[in-house]
Amino acid sequence: MTVSAIEFSRLGPPKLRLYAMRCGACGTLQPWWEHHHCYACGGSDLSEEELAGGGVLTNYTVVYYPPRDFLGQEPYVVGHITMDEGVLMPAPVVGVAPDDVEVGTRVRSTLRRMKLGHEGDIYYSQKFVVDDERTPTPGPAEG
Amino acid sequence: MRVGVLGIGKTPHKIQHGKSLRDLVVEAGRGALADAGVEPADIQALYVGNVGSVGFNYENSTGLMSAHHLGVVPAGAVRVEAACGTGAWALHLGCVAILSGLYDTVMVLGAEKMNDLATVEGTSIIAQAADSKEEYFSGLTFPSGVALTARKYMQTYNLTEEDLAHTSVKNHHYGARNPYAHLRFECTVEEVMRSAKVADPLKLYEVCPMTDAGSALVLCREEILRDQPDKPQVYVTATQMATGTWYAASDTLADAHALLAAPAQRAYEMAGVSADDIDVAEIYNSFAIQEPLGVEALGFAEQGEGWKGAADGSTWIDGKVAVNLSGGLLCKGHPLGATGSTQAVDVVEQLRGTAPPDMQRPDAEVGISACRGGPGAVGAIHVYQRLEGGE
Repeated sequence: MTVSAIEFSRLGPPKLRLYAMRCGACGTLQPWWEHHHCYACGGSDLSEEELAGGGVLTNYTVVYYPPRDFLGQEPYVVGHITMDEGVLMPAPVVGVAPDDVEVGTRVRSTLRRMKLGHEGDIYYSQKFVVDDERTPTPGPAEG
Repeated sequence: MRVGVLGIGKTPHKIQHGKSLRDLVVEAGRGALADAGVEPADIQALYVGNVGSVGFNYENSTGLMSAHHLGVVPAGAVRVEAACGTGAWALHLGCVAILSGLYDTVMVLGAEKMNDLATVEGTSIIAQAADSKEEYFSGLTFPSGVALTARKYMQTYNLTEEDLAHTSVKNHHYGARNPYAHLRFECTVEEVMRSAKVADPLKLYEVCPMTDAGSALVLCREEILRDQPDKPQVYVTATQMATGTWYAASDTLADAHALLAAPAQRAYEMAGVSADDIDVAEIYNSFAIQEPLGVEALGFAEQGEGWKGAADGSTWIDGKVAVNLSGGLLCKGHPLGATGSTQAVDVVEQLRGTAPPDMQRPDAEVGISACRGGPGAVGAIHVYQRLEGGE
């Protein structure tokens, strides 16, 4: 995806947060991109709502032929994560081998480098890791 | 409704480094003009389906470029775009133009020149047909978006990857016999299973190639074809379009079904036929899973059972309904803007009885084409009938 610096200024910053859009009319929660039209009721009053970060992997695929800005990450896992708040989010799942991914796994979000744009623009956004209590949340780097 | 199919033309579907987009346009368009027995000056409007010339070829205004190089000037010409449903939408507009009474004779043309760029660039351009800014921000691609649908289908109906592999075996059986197809080899279930992973669970033999091709139809008022009884009497008898879900995240199996089932139902009513009447069907399958989805949506099988026909023979050439005797997109390839128009040309060949011998359904009289795009966003259905003697 090629974007100008101006477009990057619109697209980039919101991706740092983890949120979904709540319909003011019917209450349906839907992915972050629905700013204009509730797919459930057609309402146009949508507002951002922060998500806690936990969810369950309900579907996934492994991408072996990536678009240019994901080159070097392949093969990578992209999942459909049903967040605890109920909304379905597409996002990469990292830290797990493609053959070990299982539907039903609990995952949690983590801010990572997502991809590199054409102009050297770097996107950071939410990826997901297996929510395993044996895997402690990374602390400050030692030394 | 009846719209006469006066002429058809298509180029080989393959990688054609020696040919430009305009070469493909002219080859397909002149083929249809010659088959119709008309001159460029007889064409009153030109509808050109092309998805990505801005990205693939760094040129725009494909409709105007086509009009100039075909000599279809000063008739009106326009480029049509609706993701992978583009060629079918061009056909729809051509039919509507004839039915409106405004025009006697129009040309519908689809063309795409995809192989001037490397696969990684092509993949990125194709991704722009979905929401590449937002949903695909997370590394999704068209194959991986549809792979999510495939896994959903397998989970819901408790199917294995081997079950779904039969679809590729059938398509390759016929694709090997289609001189216009991109991939001309047969394969077994085991070979499908062993082929390289593209987007798990989809494997290479379950994914269409990127292809350079063009195809075209000359359409006319019913009376014009009726008055030429020496010409094959094939008519478009229904054209119906639909919009569905643009996002994989909200595209349920019910949505994927309705995308084609709803316009198919309307098309059957429009043509006055039923699913049982269909002899041949060209069903969009840029990814193998989309064939069983289409088989079910067109009413040839219950939901969850559309994959069986490729395994038990009922969608082969001598089955209840012959599906994708052309080899489908899996073998013909998927020249985005040309795919819908090529489906139409292939069905018309079947009804004329002029398909290559190993691909010809005997005595085919009623055909249907089902195109989808987006991949859940566009549904397009056309019904075609051979109507000899003013039936």
